[in-house]
Amino acid sequence: MRTTRTFLIFMSLLFLALAGVPYGTAATEAAPASEKVYQIGTDTTFAPFEFQDVNGKYVGIDMELMEAIAKDQNFKFEIKSLGFNAAVQALESNQVDGVIAGMSITNERKQKFDFSDPYFDSGVIMAVREDNNEVTNYEDLKGKKVAVKTGTEGYTFAESVSSKYGFTIVPFDDSSQMYDDVKTGNSVACFDDYPVLAYGVKQKNGLKTVTDKEKGASYGFAVSKGQNKELLEKFNAGLTNLRANGEYQKLLDKYLGKNAVSTANQSRWGLVKSSLPALFVGLGKTLLYTLISLFFAFILGLIFGFMKVGRNKWLRGIATVFVDLFRGIPLIVLAFFIYFGIPQALGFTMPLFLAAILTLSLNAGAYVTEIIRGGIQSIDRGQMEAARSLGLPYRKAMIKIIIPQAIRVMIPAFINQLVITLKDTSILSVIGLVELTQSGKIVIARTFASFDIWLTVAVMYLVVITVLTKISSRLEGKVRHG
Amino acid sequence: MGKIKVQGLKKSFGANQVLKGIDMEVQEGEVVCVIGPSGSGKSTFLRCINRLEDITAGTVVVDNSDINNPKTDINKVRENIGMVFQHFNLFPHFNVLRNIMFAPLELGKQTKEQARATALKLLDQVGLSDKADAYPSQLSGGQKQRVAIARALAMNPDIMLFDEPTSALDPEMVGEVLGVMNDLAREGMTMVIVTHEMGFAREVADRVIFMDGGYIVEEGPPEKVFGSPQHERTISFLEKVLKA
Repeated sequence: MRTTRTFLIFMSLLFLALAGVPYGTAATEAAPASEKVYQIGTDTTFAPFEFQDVNGKYVGIDMELMEAIAKDQNFKFEIKSLGFNAAVQALESNQVDGVIAGMSITNERKQKFDFSDPYFDSGVIMAVREDNNEVTNYEDLKGKKVAVKTGTEGYTFAESVSSKYGFTIVPFDDSSQMYDDVKTGNSVACFDDYPVLAYGVKQKNGLKTVTDKEKGASYGFAVSKGQNKELLEKFNAGLTNLRANGEYQKLLDKYLGKNAVSTANQSRWGLVKSSLPALFVGLGKTLLYTLISLFFAFILGLIFGFMKVGRNKWLRGIATVFVDLFRGIPLIVLAFFIYFGIPQALGFTMPLFLAAILTLSLNAGAYVTEIIRGGIQSIDRGQMEAARSLGLPYRKAMIKIIIPQAIRVMIPAFINQLVITLKDTSILSVIGLVELTQSGKIVIARTFASFDIWLTVAVMYLVVITVLTKISSRLEGKVRHG
Repeated sequence: MGKIKVQGLKKSFGANQVLKGIDMEVQEGEVVCVIGPSGSGKSTFLRCINRLEDITAGTVVVDNSDINNPKTDINKVRENIGMVFQHFNLFPHFNVLRNIMFAPLELGKQTKEQARATALKLLDQVGLSDKADAYPSQLSGGQKQRVAIARALAMNPDIMLFDEPTSALDPEMVGEVLGVMNDLAREGMTMVIVTHEMGFAREVADRVIFMDGGYIVEEGPPEKVFGSPQHERTISFLEKVLKA
């Protein structure tokens, strides 16, 4: 009985934590407008519009423009660095109040969002590898592969001319991956918004631009259709003021002018060293999310694992559905569903940490359920029979005889799950969780140093997992021998 | 009134009916050996007595408790019925002493000191005083089964059930286990023993039951069942096992 009660308490706490979310949000929305902190979604890797500087602070045209407007119009905001697609989805599901991410104003987007006055006129430009002198115009792309970033104007443009010039499109989620694909030679060229590409070339990203700018759409700040009107008005008013007093031009010059800032003159080791603090913070998050999620996964696994070996066929059925469901959904889909899908359907805001922990806990919980079921069922039936024949109740026999033996069987599988969950946290970078992998992406967005940074990130994972595995094996040895 | 009273007992596993109607009684202090070919339902019958198998039809009354009655506390009834299994089923994560002390302690029957004293006494009785601190994996089959008997006796039961206790043993170890059982029988323990040891059954049993095809085919004192079996199937079974 005692154990059941403990499970129930944990479950209630979990549900309370969940239920508390919408109420919490409602309270903030009820506060006076001047107190409100707007949540602004943005991309992680769209230099020079948004990227992290060496100190981990978000800088770029969008960021500084937002700051200047907020100052001018006297409101507060908080930046959510989600990645472009995630930011757009977050806006659709009202997870954020607005998005500024070098977003082109298109008719399609106008169906869902209200846009500010355009603040930047962009256009698409093509780039190839620095040493590539064969591809100089669109005709040279015939039969080749071209890298593009999903959801951008470059993508739309590439799609519109791909059949005419006979090239294949390779889609990527962020600019630095797209550039890397060109640098490694998988794709011969890429299309990107010209300010972004121009900035990248200046940072020695290994590419050069070869065509003139295709006249394109303009960038605008977006809010959900019919919502946050006052925020949109403030943005427009602030933008007008900044244009009038010349501050906006100064801002553009800072990033796109002749004397624009560059980080390209750092040494390789210096660059890795300067990115280490950010990576260690990411590593800390990875570990934190792994441990918290495994804790809840363990509780879920205990509940459903025992339901699965129990004698009640309804409980067995429920546990089977739980396992099939969360083992059958890819982690990345589950993350999207929990963070974007459910809040959109039910109309509330889901905090990122909760979505991340729910995703990992449910996924790992399904596997832990199976580990526990398998462990218990691996114990010879005779053990339970011997205990019961002595007059022990089922629960006592389970706790004193079956579980202690089953745990020894389960430990290697648990260690395995620990490693898997730790690595799986990297998948949550798609919903903007800044763990180790996302930290790496952010650094690369600024520095374009793929090899050095991914190597550093890989080594960090490897060291941590090796250390954890060694500790666990020692623990396993102890349990086995008494 | 018998110690164990079985009436119209039937047991099916799915569509497979293993026991087709068993009626029998065991008196206090009686030693009953159940013999018969494999698949005849002997072990299932034994396991129905302490409800390790749920019965499909009929009644089993042990010490005046109908074990299939939902109001009966089956755990209380089982405290009074020791069981010894073919494969010993010792708890591998406990040492010998703890295997024996486990149930009395866990069920609050004895203090730790009492349980320890009882366990040591029982170990002496089965001739394993020197193995108190050993783990099951360090024991031979015969030693394991003697510890298992001691474990069952630690709850001080009135009835002992033996499910082919020597079938998993090397031949040279059968004797030591049968010896312990023989002692128990002489002390007046009520025992139901499923066995293939015909010599033992003949020597120790008060009554022998021959089962085949889910029925009791023949029963009686050992000299009668072994000496002048009446039923054709009993005759052919005994011919086979006694020739071997």
